[in-house]
Amino acid sequence: MKRLHPDLSLLFLFGFFTLFSNVCSDLVISKLDRQIDLSSQIVRFTTSLKLENNGAEAVSKVLLPYPENQGKNLAFLSVTVTEGKGKTKTSSDRLHVDVVHPEGMPPSLTWYAVSLPKELSKGGSLTLEVKAVFTHLLTLFPEKITQAEAQLVAFQDSAHYLSPYAVKIQSLTVKLPEPKVESYTKLENTKFSGSEIKYGPYENIPPFSLPTIIVHFVSNKPFSVAQELVREIEVSHWGNVQVTENYNLIHAGAELKGVFSRLDYQERPHVRGASALSSLVARLPARAHSIYYRDDIGNISTSNVYSDSAKTLLEIEPRYPMFGGWRTAFTIGYGLPLQDFLFKSQGKRFLDITFGCPMNDIVIENLFVKVVLPEGSKDISVVAPFPTKETRETKLSHLDIAGRPVIVLEKKNVVPEHNKKFQVYYRFSSFSLLREPLMLVFGFFLFFVACIVYVHADFTISKSSPSYIAKLQWDEVQTAVQQFQNIMNCVLVIHDKLDASLRDLSRTGDVQACKAARKNADAFLKELTKELKPLSAFLQSSPQALQIVPKVDELVIKEKELQEKLMLKHSMVVDSYEKKSGGRDIDNRVTAVQQKITLLRQEVDDLLEVIDEI
Amino acid sequence: MAPSAKPISSPVPDAWYPTLAVLLLAFGLVITASFFIYEATSSRKNRNLAKELTTGAVASVFLGFGSLFLLLSSGVYV
Repeated sequence: MKRLHPDLSLLFLFGFFTLFSNVCSDLVISKLDRQIDLSSQIVRFTTSLKLENNGAEAVSKVLLPYPENQGKNLAFLSVTVTEGKGKTKTSSDRLHVDVVHPEGMPPSLTWYAVSLPKELSKGGSLTLEVKAVFTHLLTLFPEKITQAEAQLVAFQDSAHYLSPYAVKIQSLTVKLPEPKVESYTKLENTKFSGSEIKYGPYENIPPFSLPTIIVHFVSNKPFSVAQELVREIEVSHWGNVQVTENYNLIHAGAELKGVFSRLDYQERPHVRGASALSSLVARLPARAHSIYYRDDIGNISTSNVYSDSAKTLLEIEPRYPMFGGWRTAFTIGYGLPLQDFLFKSQGKRFLDITFGCPMNDIVIENLFVKVVLPEGSKDISVVAPFPTKETRETKLSHLDIAGRPVIVLEKKNVVPEHNKKFQVYYRFSSFSLLREPLMLVFGFFLFFVACIVYVHADFTISKSSPSYIAKLQWDEVQTAVQQFQNIMNCVLVIHDKLDASLRDLSRTGDVQACKAARKNADAFLKELTKELKPLSAFLQSSPQALQIVPKVDELVIKEKELQEKLMLKHSMVVDSYEKKSGGRDIDNRVTAVQQKITLLRQEVDDLLEVIDEI
Repeated sequence: MAPSAKPISSPVPDAWYPTLAVLLLAFGLVITASFFIYEATSSRKNRNLAKELTTGAVASVFLGFGSLFLLLSSGVYV
């Protein structure tokens, strides 16, 4: 059985404290309270320091050192000034923290300098709360386990706080995930109760004493690590923000030794496979829609969505439960309403959306966030609450000419604390939105122009073949017939106008207007008959129109008869009005003529229909 | 976030997309039909190029916007 070797680098720090105690003796930490939360794969240190300035000058920077393996794995650091205790505790905004390299210090330490908002004057005191989040700090011991064994991890740190300042009183609390522990280093003042191990309080520790503590405990939480996560956020001004996330997950816990028995796992999952990764919960914004969960094979149906007015919970299960060392890859996508995430301010538009992964308790080794803005966006800039590496790309998507601008933000070692909002500012004129429908309109118009060109163009090869000539002649006949039809329709309209004038006469009794209408009608009809003559001559002469000519002639004759009868009726009615005979008389005289008129009109209409069908 | 930030949404309300798609496409197809009927029934001499082009232009405007709203209502946010 392998023994746990304490990290030797901590021991080498003894000698360096002699340097520290001379250089940084201004500040004194009067009360230090450290809490180490080991309940998941992400180790969280919460340190509360009460600083007193015992020196002669005001101090504006506080130094925080971290030993080598912690400095390498530090994912997130946040320092705030707190006032009050317990329920009345208030925190200020996050203070600015820089990485510094003080001279004469060993290179294995990582130093952070916190800029205080106000200088700490001589004799003043301040309480700082430092939250540090580390990844890959727990070592698996044993490294390989079988399906039935529990996952044991070891954590190592020093019982006393590493600091360049003298510490008066300090205490350490280590919080475990379960109320049992395999083994822990017992120093003086050590107490284990519930699921917490308390070391301390220690008073006035000499500056070069750093006893190592190792805690070996059971942590059956699955260690889900995403080796690569690509988040693509596509903004469409027509009302949707589409987010697509591609995950490459690995279970970074103790590797599975031996075989995996599905039967054992399904019978008693909590005993055989307690540390398996069986489901993940993603917390999506409210009003997320069109959520899908798939991988290279296809859709994965083991998922659930619970939504309420504040959030949408997506619970997904991978295709198989993941044991130590196993991998899986999948894609999650969802759409969000535009008005929740895109805003306009001072002439620029900006997208306000969360940076990290929506799943809790997942460590991402490489995170790529790609923001795809619509084509025509200019002056793009990014404002993020933590440093990221920025590159630009183009993406060709629907209805694009040159491509959409893409901003790629890259960050390593991302933890759920990084899931804060970031903004992307850009300019976009509203007219550019019309470009897409105009492209479609232009496309359809080209189709119609092509149709027009096809119909107008003459593609016959031989222009003297009999069939081609016959076709041309038939075309001419058709033209003549259509013109004839037009003229007939005009004539009929004039007839209708005459009838209307008669009705007006019966209403108003205005004889003069009626006579004027009659005169107009006569003039029009004369013109139209004149136009009709050349057409009938042409139709008679053309050989193709043999069928039509008799019908046309018949129509002309009938129309003439109709015209005569109509004129007769008109004159009769007008005369009667002038003689001021009664209404009944008029009706009697007119009825006979009227019947003939209606008959003839019917015949004319029928003939017109027949000609139309040819 | 700046205090004067106003949310931006689509110029046409989301709920109208399917209705607009159907209406505009229906009009567009009716005008396309009249275009093709005119092409088929008129003889060579009688054809009026201006009438053809205007009918085609009006039809393509309706069809273009109708197909845009059809794409948007079916989830392809172009």
